[in-house]
Amino acid sequence: MTATDFLPADPLLHLLRRATYGPTPASTAEIRRLGATAWLERQLKPASIADPAADDLVGRLPLSGLSVDGARAKVREGAYKMYGWEPMFELGYATVARAVWSERQLLEVMVAFWSNHLNVTNPSGDVWDSRPDYDRTVIRPYALGRFADMLKASAKHPAMLTYLDNRFSTRAAPNENYGRELLELHTVGLGYTEADVKGAARLFTGMTVSWDTGRYRYDAGQHATGAVSVMGFRHANATASGGQAAAMALLDHLASHPATAKRIATKLCVRFVADEPPATLVTKLTKVYLDNRTAIAPVLRALFASPEFAASVGAKTRTPYEDIVATVRTLGYAPEKSGTQGVRALYWMTEAAGQAPMAWSPPNGYPDVASAWASPSGQVKRWNAHLSIAAGWWPTTLQRPASPLAEYAGSTLPATYGALVDAVATRLLGRTPSAVHTAALAAFYGEKPVSPLKAGDAAAGWAFPYLPALLLDSPYFALR
Amino acid sequence: MTTENCGCPVSRRKLLAAGAAGLFAGLAGEQLSTQMAFASPGYGGDVFVLLSLRGGFDGLSAVVPAGDAGYYAARPGIAVPKRQLIGGDAYFGLNPALAPLLPYWKAGTLGAVQAVGQPAPNRSHFSAMEELERAAPGTSLRTGWLDRMMGGLGAAGAFDAVSVGSAMPARVLAGPAPDLGLSAVDDFVLSGEDKNRPMAATIAALYAGAPPALAATTAMTTSALATTARLKATGYTPADGAAYPDTDLGKALKDLARLIKADVGLMSACVDSGDWDMHENLGTAAPGKRMYDHLAALASALAAFAQDLGPDGMGRVTLVTISEFGRRVGQNGSGGLDHGYGNAMLMLGGGVRGGKVHGKWPGLAADRLVDGDLAVTTDYRAAIGEILRARCGVADVAAVFPGVRPSTLGLVKAR
Repeated sequence: MTATDFLPADPLLHLLRRATYGPTPASTAEIRRLGATAWLERQLKPASIADPAADDLVGRLPLSGLSVDGARAKVREGAYKMYGWEPMFELGYATVARAVWSERQLLEVMVAFWSNHLNVTNPSGDVWDSRPDYDRTVIRPYALGRFADMLKASAKHPAMLTYLDNRFSTRAAPNENYGRELLELHTVGLGYTEADVKGAARLFTGMTVSWDTGRYRYDAGQHATGAVSVMGFRHANATASGGQAAAMALLDHLASHPATAKRIATKLCVRFVADEPPATLVTKLTKVYLDNRTAIAPVLRALFASPEFAASVGAKTRTPYEDIVATVRTLGYAPEKSGTQGVRALYWMTEAAGQAPMAWSPPNGYPDVASAWASPSGQVKRWNAHLSIAAGWWPTTLQRPASPLAEYAGSTLPATYGALVDAVATRLLGRTPSAVHTAALAAFYGEKPVSPLKAGDAAAGWAFPYLPALLLDSPYFALR
Repeated sequence: MTTENCGCPVSRRKLLAAGAAGLFAGLAGEQLSTQMAFASPGYGGDVFVLLSLRGGFDGLSAVVPAGDAGYYAARPGIAVPKRQLIGGDAYFGLNPALAPLLPYWKAGTLGAVQAVGQPAPNRSHFSAMEELERAAPGTSLRTGWLDRMMGGLGAAGAFDAVSVGSAMPARVLAGPAPDLGLSAVDDFVLSGEDKNRPMAATIAALYAGAPPALAATTAMTTSALATTARLKATGYTPADGAAYPDTDLGKALKDLARLIKADVGLMSACVDSGDWDMHENLGTAAPGKRMYDHLAALASALAAFAQDLGPDGMGRVTLVTISEFGRRVGQNGSGGLDHGYGNAMLMLGGGVRGGKVHGKWPGLAADRLVDGDLAVTTDYRAAIGEILRARCGVADVAAVFPGVRPSTLGLVKAR
């Protein structure tokens, strides 16, 4: 067998598995009704999509959307202590909530993509008042917009200035951390020189954070003037007052640099197409990115319409985060009616599996290839999460179907164990397993595929949840 | 040497194959319990433990060149004063935060090498870490060096090479030789497993025909589950009153000592200790200061590990620390240190020639620095190569580190 033998051949399901956090019954019906192109266009305009379930749930996590001023006001009100981590944890919970239940799925996938690309670890020590604001004002508004705009917004955001130390960079002692990661991770990639790093670091001196307000502040008095040259960008940088504008010009230059274009095209291909992306597609998308002045939507349109994408069925494996989110989605659970205990539990499941959203501590973001996640330990955590969620053991508060058996296998009890396996697999995975695998699942219950299934059997009663869990443990679900 | 003639125990190989076929559940405990060799039978070397200090460890704060005036001149706010140093020799001294390790230094089982590093400066965390763990510059090799070492030694079982403390596999183990990532021994349990409804065996059967990478991980997972079920049933109490700190490193080293003593066949292990990237407020050598507290936490975890294993256990373990780069010699305007080059490496183990600082000291005079950084006089691969040859029976060091000859610094005694 090959990877394609484990996945349904349907190209619409292929698109759903890649452009969302996994098919649900509703999203599958919708894409069949709209077709691939109209579905994608709708997803590329997230503001036009009503999102009541996610909005309601995120509304129960009010600290997740705090501005810097708002966070500081909460501290003054005594809602929590300075340097408290509650807003950052709420942001993590809200991110899981949106990944599972938002209708704006492609937006959420791209928010995760950019959160990794311009990583500011959440939670982490010094960004207690700014990390939720970074998500709200830097990542989300531009996730389907222009990269140059996002890059400039990130450079002036207290969270990034703090995380990569630029707030402490002064004329007398430029701190090189931000300058280096800007080149290596945010834009052109390896290939810069030490002189490029020093030049960039000097240009960013003076861009800092106010101790009083926690907001961004340009301190011209700390700007190091004098000509700089960085990756083909030249600027006289003659005046301290002009330092910020010069820095922004460098960011525009870097965002539109061909090496940046190629890097972002490659990363998008790794995300959506294959761990080792086809060079033809990378070349094509690099050009689309440059032709559209760093706008991302045209790149995504070209990617999903490409023959390379169509040919990539089975070439991606779910990461632990995608796995747990897709589990809840395919099981068709709704958020809890009140409170946030369930979504918190899901967050801690992703953390245990090694991939809580935004929690990667180095600035390079989570790895996005299967080999980085091929861990027995991670696998066990995911298998345990499948059973726990499918059986309703934990989280206990999510709204499960009244009868999971009827929901996944149909209102009429299948006649045999084989028919039961096939019905549940079709509902959860979009296809039936091979005969060998169906036999292995029947054997789990001590039966054969042809064995008659009776209403009083454990497999149709208390032991039923093991079947969806085992299907989610299998390669049919591990691949996306 | 290949996996075919490595002399690995039949039981573990059968276990792996049986796990893939979905049949392992019945034979695991019984056959594993008959295995009482310290490490994998057929392997006569030390358990080689690689402790990665992530973020760029400041070796100059740990193994302080007190005899070099350049050190005090470059770090007016954060140098460790001579009067505070412990251990060491006429020229170097240890940071006082390392006090829990002083007995091992004095006993000669803890040593250091100064001015080690990569062949060329690379001040990017990510690419330096990748280079460090791939350790094959100028080649197209994509494996990790510890994986190449394990392959050369004929590793065949899930527990031959383990990374402890993270569900993420260690990059240095990336490659064809088997390895296991364990966040914690006691957490490695499959929910719902029951002899009447065999979850693990069913899952193993569902991976028949799966893409090789997925199938290989699953086979390893199901076989390792059987081993950890046995360990969990036995429980664990550290020996000799060893008290591990309640830190990620403390927990990982405790699990590592447990695996070493449980005879699961360990040949090598990786453990991480993070957060050494101190661009600001590194601090003086006093409790409450960042570098001091980090070093103290590191030292207390290592001291507990050494005490738990005892002299007999430590006689068959060699632990070394590595980091992607050292820090700049001069402090920056934020009272911290930017990314640098040369670094210090610590070695702990019964076979270590400790109580001294090995290596050639290049000096900190301005004309001896490389772009403001400590120069490297010993390639870290050559130093590790010497240890692998003397303690782990690696005959062909160049097969692990292409183009590298082991150093002859006398870092360890031959086994």
